[in-house]
Amino acid sequence: MSPLDREQVVSHLKQLPSLPSVVSELLASFGNDDIDVGRIAQQIAHDQGLTARVLRVANSSFYGLQSRVGTINEAVVVLGFRAVRSMVLAVGMSGALRLDQCQGFDGQAYLRHCVAVGLAARAIAPFAGHNPELAFTAGILHDIGELVLASSFPEQYAAVLAYRAQHDCFMVVAERDILGLDHAEVGGLLADTWHFPSSLRDAVALHHQPASAPAGSLADLIHVADGIAHALGMALAQDEMVMPVERTAWLRLGLDSEKLGRILPQVESDMDATYQAIKG
Amino acid sequence: MRVTEILKLDQLEPGMQLAEPVLDESGRVLVPAGAEVNESLVHGLQRREIVQVSVSYEQAEDPAQREARLAQINAQLAHLFRKAGDDDATRQLQRAVMAFRSGDAP
Repeated sequence: MSPLDREQVVSHLKQLPSLPSVVSELLASFGNDDIDVGRIAQQIAHDQGLTARVLRVANSSFYGLQSRVGTINEAVVVLGFRAVRSMVLAVGMSGALRLDQCQGFDGQAYLRHCVAVGLAARAIAPFAGHNPELAFTAGILHDIGELVLASSFPEQYAAVLAYRAQHDCFMVVAERDILGLDHAEVGGLLADTWHFPSSLRDAVALHHQPASAPAGSLADLIHVADGIAHALGMALAQDEMVMPVERTAWLRLGLDSEKLGRILPQVESDMDATYQAIKG
Repeated sequence: MRVTEILKLDQLEPGMQLAEPVLDESGRVLVPAGAEVNESLVHGLQRREIVQVSVSYEQAEDPAQREARLAQINAQLAHLFRKAGDDDATRQLQRAVMAFRSGDAP
């Protein structure tokens, strides 16, 4: 199988369906303090599919609300704009990539893993001075390069998955051996195409090499959250495996067994309800 | 391991906790959930002709059972960490998950 070159990938990315306009606008809002929350909430509400899924997440045990929220406006009031934004992004962007057929791609394991990384990242965030909601979004999206490859190059990616199964190796190794590039790099290209804020871009593009991201970046957080999610076996996949946790990221986050002892149960207890809600 | 079950009054042991409140016929709480079992509580229940209550208590795991359970967790983790290498950070993560899964978390 011939490797993919970056230009080929980028030209495919440009053909992807554009993001729902409200999702693009929310992405742009990260760099902008002057946001008209009311207008954005109204825009979200116009997309019924998106609204339904966002409300399902808002009402899942993940947020532990005392009473249910029935509208986007209520969700903004009760949970705050940042939380709603992160939910819309998580739900809206995964939904923008249609996965038709890629032999061997386990969409359920993919999403379960992403949700677990989102939950782990959210649980680590307070220890590292990060916004938990942004961390959650970054976790949900961190492997979006895999989704791009599986949906845009299904045959080539099927070969990657077969290679991985045969060699029991890391996904990135199989991708580099077969395609010449990996899902983190492709995720980075997508992040550029869709104008992700740089914090989210770093998380997606550098989660397998956090040491090359600046200190305080979300890449550290997602790298370790990735390890936690795999260590808990949250994807429920036979071939699941933990990659080495990079010492730099670990040390920069200052994690220890006591903190992990608080993080691990949170991830596990929120897992099923959050997965069900996001799955839609 | 914490167990919850319904027991007759003569099976209750001091130190157990009521898992559910004991109610009278009109639904009023006689004894709240969480109350600790002691002699006077049992006498009170007998006086009201209550036959059985739901309690929870810590049950020591059979050592052989515990060993089998830990071995199973260990094997699962060894499989998940099969290519994760020996770096400190990675091993700390593995130990933390082991502690969490075995119920020995700090």
